Amino acid sequence: MPQLNPGPWFAILVFSWLIFLTIIPTKILSHISPNEPTPVSAEKHKTESWDWPW
Amino acid sequence: MMVSFFDQFASPSYLGIPNIAVAIALPWVLYPTPPARWINNRLITIQGWFINRFTNQLMLPLNVGGHKWALLLASLMIFLITINMLGLLPYTFTPTTQLSLNMGFAVPLWLATVIIGMRNQPTIALGHLLPEGTPIPLIPVLIIIETISLLIRPLALGVRLTANLTAGHLLIQLIATAVFVLLPMMPTVAILTAAVLFLLTLLEVAVAMIQAYVFVLLLSLYLQENV
Repeated sequence: MPQLNPGPWFAILVFSWLIFLTIIPTKILSHISPNEPTPVSAEKHKTESWDWPW
Repeated sequence: MMVSFFDQFASPSYLGIPNIAVAIALPWVLYPTPPARWINNRLITIQGWFINRFTNQLMLPLNVGGHKWALLLASLMIFLITINMLGLLPYTFTPTTQLSLNMGFAVPLWLATVIIGMRNQPTIALGHLLPEGTPIPLIPVLIIIETISLLIRPLALGVRLTANLTAGHLLIQLIATAVFVLLPMMPTVAILTAAVLFLLTLLEVAVAMIQAYVFVLLLSLYLQENV
C-alpha cells in the first residue's frame, strides 16, 4: 500500500514544513481583528465590537 | 489491465515533478491575502471570520502561555483542511493520505508540547503519568500504561488522519466502480448505488473538515496539559 510507504519521508518532511512555515503564516497574520484578544484570566471581557460613535 | 485500488495513493509524477509537491505548494494561491487597509471583499471577510473565531475557540481553554501557539495551530488548520478538501476533487492527489507527511507533522508538534512541559513545569508534566487517588498496588502498572499512552500519541495522531482519508477515498472509488460495472446489467441498482455515492461524497467532505479539526484540537489538548 503506497500510502504507508515511508520514503521519501525526509524530502516530504522538509518540503511540507517549508511551505507550512513560509506561506501560510503570512497569510493568516495579515487578517486584522479589531478586538485585541483578552486572556481567560481577565476579570471582565471586552465583548462589544466596534459601533458607530453616535 | 487491472489496477489496484491502492494505486491512487502513490504520488504520480508529471514532467519529473511529483504531484505531492504540487499539491502541497500550490493551493495557497486560492486564498487571497488581505491588504494592509481595512477594506475587504466577501472572500477575505469570511476567511478572517473563520480564522479569528477558530483561534478564539481553540485558545479559550488554554493558559496564556499557550496563546503563542495560536498562529501555528491556525496555520495548521488551514493547511490540513485545504489539502483534505482539494484532495476530494477528481484527478487530484491528496498528500494527507501519506503516512509520512502526517507523521512529519504529528511527531515534531507533539514533541514540542512534551518538551515545553518537561522544561517549564516538570512536576506537573510528570504528574500526568499518575492520576490522583490511584490505589497503591496499581501505581507501577498505571505509570507504565500512562507512559505508553503518552508515547503512542504522535503515532495515533498521524495514523488517524491517514486512515480516515484513505478509507474515504477507497470507499468512494469502490462504490464509483460498482456504479460503472452495474450500469449495463442492473440500471435501477446502479442508480441507487449512485445515490449512495452522492451521500458518501457529502460524508467525505464532512470527514475532510472534521479530521483537520480533530488533528489541531488534539494538539491543543496536548499543549493544554503542558503549559
